[in-house]
Amino acid sequence: MTAVAAVNSKTHGIWGRISDLMWRKPGLLVATLLSLPILWLGIIYLGSLFTLLLQSFYSIDEFSGMIRREFTLKTYGELLSPANFDIILRTFLMACAVTISAAFIAFPIAYYAARYARGRLKALFYLAVMLPLWSSYLVKIYAWKLILAKEGIVNWLVSELGLSFLLNALLSVPVIGGNSLSVSYVGTYLVLLYVWLPFMILPVQAALERVPTNLIEASRDLGGTQRQTLRIVIIPLAMPGIIAGSIFTFSLTLGDFIVPQIIGTSRRFIGQAVYAHQGTAGNIPLAAAFAVVPIVIMTIYLWVAKRQGALDAL
Amino acid sequence: MPFLPCWGLPGSGKTTCLRLISGFERPTSGEIRIFDKVFNEVPPNRRPVNTVFQDYALFPHLDVRDNVAYGPMVRGIGRQQRHAEADRMLELVKLGGLGRRSPAQLSGGQRQRVALARALINKPRVLLLDEPLGALDLKLREQMQEELKSLQETVGITFVFVTHDQGEALSMSDYIAVINNGRVVQYGSPQQVYDLPRTRFVAGFVGSSNLVPPELSEQVGAASRWHSLRPETISLVAAERAQISGRLHSVRYLGSMQRVQVRVGVHSIDAVLPASIQLPEHGSRIHLGWPGNALNPLEDDA
Repeated sequence: MTAVAAVNSKTHGIWGRISDLMWRKPGLLVATLLSLPILWLGIIYLGSLFTLLLQSFYSIDEFSGMIRREFTLKTYGELLSPANFDIILRTFLMACAVTISAAFIAFPIAYYAARYARGRLKALFYLAVMLPLWSSYLVKIYAWKLILAKEGIVNWLVSELGLSFLLNALLSVPVIGGNSLSVSYVGTYLVLLYVWLPFMILPVQAALERVPTNLIEASRDLGGTQRQTLRIVIIPLAMPGIIAGSIFTFSLTLGDFIVPQIIGTSRRFIGQAVYAHQGTAGNIPLAAAFAVVPIVIMTIYLWVAKRQGALDAL
Repeated sequence: MPFLPCWGLPGSGKTTCLRLISGFERPTSGEIRIFDKVFNEVPPNRRPVNTVFQDYALFPHLDVRDNVAYGPMVRGIGRQQRHAEADRMLELVKLGGLGRRSPAQLSGGQRQRVALARALINKPRVLLLDEPLGALDLKLREQMQEELKSLQETVGITFVFVTHDQGEALSMSDYIAVINNGRVVQYGSPQQVYDLPRTRFVAGFVGSSNLVPPELSEQVGAASRWHSLRPETISLVAAERAQISGRLHSVRYLGSMQRVQVRVGVHSIDAVLPASIQLPEHGSRIHLGWPGNALNPLEDDA
């Protein structure tokens, strides 16, 4: 008995005492572990977000170019001017197009990976999806610029196949067309689709893996065709993954300013507008107001998704 | 309208057997016949067969009524009519009024009944049940066995029922198929399978028969081959009428009965005797007898 008591009462330094304290008060342990991340999130993320919001309610003095630190909605009003509103609409439509296309392209790939690929094939799938994410974003985009240029491989391939008339027809469509793919909206769209596709494939694949096989079999057993099974069972159950993926592709497209800078027309997207207004133009309030737009769009999107019950199965 | 349990050890091929009938596995050879029609080339959705899955496989995103109405829905039957049909089926399985619940809000037994209603609404010729009672606790399982049996008599279709629980198989069936290594080793009525097991596997599997090896069979004057001998057919007899004698090795008290193990040389024989019988001390010699037809000859296992 005494020996046991001796072991227990032996002082074991400051760390020992701290460890004892943590054991007695588990709340303290959690607080210690979380304090750093919470400080980081609180100050760096929420703080800068709040500053951004604040800035967007200031305005710029048209004569002196100085920021007037008085609350006003004047800057938001400027967003509605035809030139600025075009930027917002253009970015929004591009994000919609990229997201919808990404969902359609990602689903079959993710379905194959989740249902049929096994072992080595599955590893290969992950590698193929992730590999582009491991190389520099800029390098990929410049590579695409070369691929899509008039002297590029796409043009060459199309003309070798004798399909130049198709590409020319596409490029002569007003608005989305242009001199070559690399200076048209089609090009911007293709490259955005390429860079954000992995962010759609991975969550959809994860969601599809969680759909139990026996539900698919139950549907077939009860008389459902493969199409009906896909429509009534598989897609609704994979919806959380599709929503998660679309949040990625949609918000990443809304905020991107490098792809449209390098590939596409000279007409701006939201990201480019933010970049230009906070830089050379020195119009921080307008830049901030532009930056709030994707946040608002994403909030509305999430709210609609939640109301539709798409997030219930998360 | 038979009730056919397929019964074997886990991994013996029972589930594969069901999956062959329902069409989720394709036979490498042979034919799948359902009421004399060959169904090898027909996909699952066009077979007159429905399955109650082991873990019920209810669609979590549909409510109970839509789960039951799934079959009529994919056949293109209008909402009102299929919901009315579904409600009727839910009444049949005594779940009337729970149609608007989600499957997650139901107990295990209720889910099982939803799965049953969902399969029966399609009016299959054959209903396949893959260990449907395995996930239920003992009391619920016994209650569901009764209900399944009476339901089967009400709807009058063939139930093929996979289980590894011999009590379940014996009490619920009109016919039993015992499966081992993917083969049906014995097919017959529960009494036949219980009283006259054909092979050592079946004998060992049905309850707890004594397996009498050839040399012991010779000692008691039977042919030199394996026999099965049910412990409850054995009784204590006087020395001059004994078929076999041995030393009393152990006694286990089972309430109304006692299970007695007797050593005969290197072999041992179990007997189940009424608890009222007074037994001599452990290690003393006792004499056993049984009716002439109790010793059942076994075929060699394939």
